[in-house]
Amino acid sequence: MTTLGATAIRAARRFASSLPALFGVLIFTFLLMRVLPGDPAVFFASGPNSGKEEIETIRKQMGLDKPVPQQLFLYLYDVGRGNLGRSLMTGQNVTKDLRERLPASLELTFSALLIALVLAIPLGVLAALKPGSLVDHGVRLFCALGVCVPTFVSGLLLIYIFYYLFGVSPDPTGRVDIFTTLPPAHTGFLLIDFALAGDFDGWWAAFKQLILPACTMALFVIAPLARITRASMLASLGSDFVRTARSVGLSWWRIIITYALRNAILPVITIAGIVFSTMLGANVLVEKVFSWPGVASYALDALLSSDYAPVQGFVLLMASVFVIVNLVVDVLYGIADPRISIG
Amino acid sequence: MGLIYSKQMLGAAAALALFTAAVPANAQTRAETLRYVTGAAVNTLDPNIPGSTREAFAVSLSTYDRLVSFGRKQLNGKWVFDLDTIRGELAESYTVSPDGLKITFKLRSDAKFQDGSPVTAEDVKWSLDRAVTAKILGKAQLLTGSLTDASQFKVIDASTFEVTLPQPDKLALPNLATVYPIIINSKLAKAHATEEDPWAQAWLKENTAGSGAYIVETFKPGEQVILKRNDAWNRAAGDKQAFFKRLIIQSVPEPATRANLVEKGDADIVIDLQASDAQALEAKGKLQVISTPQYNAITFISMNNQMAPFDKPDVRRAVAYALPYDDMFKAALFSRGDLLAGATWADGKPPSGAFPIKQPIKLDLEKAKAYLKAAGYPDGFSTTFSFNVGQSATAEPMAALLKESLAKIGIKVDIQKLPDAQMSTQITEKKLPFFTEGIVAWLPSTDYFYRNFYTGNQRWNYSSIDNAELTAVAQKARFEADKAKYEADGKMLNAMNFDLMPQIPLWQPSQDAVMASNLTGYTYQFHRQVDYRDLSRK
Repeated sequence: MTTLGATAIRAARRFASSLPALFGVLIFTFLLMRVLPGDPAVFFASGPNSGKEEIETIRKQMGLDKPVPQQLFLYLYDVGRGNLGRSLMTGQNVTKDLRERLPASLELTFSALLIALVLAIPLGVLAALKPGSLVDHGVRLFCALGVCVPTFVSGLLLIYIFYYLFGVSPDPTGRVDIFTTLPPAHTGFLLIDFALAGDFDGWWAAFKQLILPACTMALFVIAPLARITRASMLASLGSDFVRTARSVGLSWWRIIITYALRNAILPVITIAGIVFSTMLGANVLVEKVFSWPGVASYALDALLSSDYAPVQGFVLLMASVFVIVNLVVDVLYGIADPRISIG
Repeated sequence: MGLIYSKQMLGAAAALALFTAAVPANAQTRAETLRYVTGAAVNTLDPNIPGSTREAFAVSLSTYDRLVSFGRKQLNGKWVFDLDTIRGELAESYTVSPDGLKITFKLRSDAKFQDGSPVTAEDVKWSLDRAVTAKILGKAQLLTGSLTDASQFKVIDASTFEVTLPQPDKLALPNLATVYPIIINSKLAKAHATEEDPWAQAWLKENTAGSGAYIVETFKPGEQVILKRNDAWNRAAGDKQAFFKRLIIQSVPEPATRANLVEKGDADIVIDLQASDAQALEAKGKLQVISTPQYNAITFISMNNQMAPFDKPDVRRAVAYALPYDDMFKAALFSRGDLLAGATWADGKPPSGAFPIKQPIKLDLEKAKAYLKAAGYPDGFSTTFSFNVGQSATAEPMAALLKESLAKIGIKVDIQKLPDAQMSTQITEKKLPFFTEGIVAWLPSTDYFYRNFYTGNQRWNYSSIDNAELTAVAQKARFEADKAKYEADGKMLNAMNFDLMPQIPLWQPSQDAVMASNLTGYTYQFHRQVDYRDLSRK
């Protein structure tokens, strides 16, 4: 129990020490958006008759008529109160937009990561057990294909096969069939919410919508995960303790899982953490192809139209997610290898 | 002599093909639901909010009524909106006084807001006051119809309403049929107004208070809007209801996915497919593809007339004669639309005062070289040609052909692709020398085009042309009541435009509406979106 408490305290301290970095990200993004040559007021004042007056109105509405230091101060003040500003693009508060969209992205990314790990670790282990064999080459080919086909190509291909040709999956438009009633929102994760509400038809509908985009994303990240599993398994299989375990006649299953894999898993966890954060922010193409209402496509649209508040909010969110994921990875280290303590 | 139009008279004519279909007694819910998919998104329920998208405009047409609306006409066998036929929407009838300074509207006695309260002249007054007073988009639009001040709007009695104009203006009435002057339930809106927001803009952005054909059921900005029919609404031509019981307007950003959806029958209609997809679907023949040249929109190649070397008319003429129009049209749009080049004007005079008209110009490198020499650039020059990322599907192939062709007369072109917001900023600041952009006019009359797109130091004057004579003729034409004189002014403007060549009109792209084969009633509208109230299912 005390070790758990100590871990929590260390984690909290670790989190506190990352606050200056978050603050830096906040200011950097703020300034970067203002240095970009696009003027959001001009862009949004694009009605057929919009003139100088509309531009001025929007500029005032966005607070752009004030000097930059004052804008920054006001922005920091707002962020401190949990208000990330208003998006011109959706007309909503950025906090509200992100709160609605983040669960969609998280659900997709978690599922994709789960699929990727379930496939990648056995593949990596298999490849490591027989290096240079046909299996090893097969895994290598599969990984290479997964990583070299861009996600929008594999996404469109999957849609073409499963939706267009065979009609087994529902139309790729968002998280759930448009005629399905949504469950009461507890977590924002539709699979969990449907399960909580006991609506299994709804759960199945949401699952069918999720599986194609999740597979598309998983295909792309299987490669790094499988390759790192293979490399680290190779090192661990060739180590002294595995040789000892073999010599005392332990079952091969025990040798591979308990001794080799547990020791080889650390780098996989690290990579999985990085892959997760990257996927969450960079899965914009998958979100676009499947009309998934996630945060990445939201941020891209905002960036194209120079809508400051959503972009700033998104970067801040991503930085926070990155910090949290790293923290989780550190805690997982401790579980995987008790010799490591975070601090 | 007062002009009196009654909505029944016009309604009977316009209703012919609109509602030919009878509803089957035990119709499936899917058949009564219209699912529309789009790459853009609805961001507000009040079209007046700065930053409103075109999708938001389309939704507002179904959720709100205006005093009047446009009729429709056939253009080359396709239904398009008709600027010259104005029928009543909330107004039962209207009269224009003989001097053209007063328009009196008689409101429908049966019109009710969606909360059941009757529509009164007070509501109309509050709504139009809001449109010209509040800091909203309607203000700049209504200005083009001499509607600028709340004192112009007068309540005569509960069902009679009067608009006074400072001078007779042909665009006053059409302006009231545009997207912005929605009629709002003033009691409901006022209940949500605050001191710093007297016109309830914040509330109306996320709520509706109208009398329109559809009631908002769910509104998820950026994702989807679901509307259900207002059964009490009877303002379609012929006093009919809207056909569909439910509308689903959904954002699907990927064009290939939209094409799949409509081909599989999961979506009923889509208007923003890529030209190649529209062509492929048309060739397969399973779906209906109604392709209407957007006759109120034009794509230009613009040159900055204030910036060397494009400040010399001969340079601009040289560029105009050095473009491979047909090839560009094929490569960019698969020839879907109307090309505005390749005409012959008898004795060099414009055959019509309409705008735009086909220009007597074609690829002629010898002529181009001669003009370039006359301008003092016998060896050509270097410049950059810009377009925005959002248009790359059409602009990229077009720019490549332009670059290749201009190289033949010695003009070296660098192609520059700009994010949309950057492009609009640089256009407004007049920093781009040479670029392509499009324009659209809701009320496409010749003087309107010339006044908005060829005069003044403002964003829409892409070529930054500043020609006193052209400006004077365009301003004079605005209030010209005599049709023959107006036509003469139009011809003069067209002739001057061709001679000065401030920018090159390329084409009017088609709006490809791809829809299920059992849909009827589709009409190309001034706002270039689908008016859901037009549609029905056979």
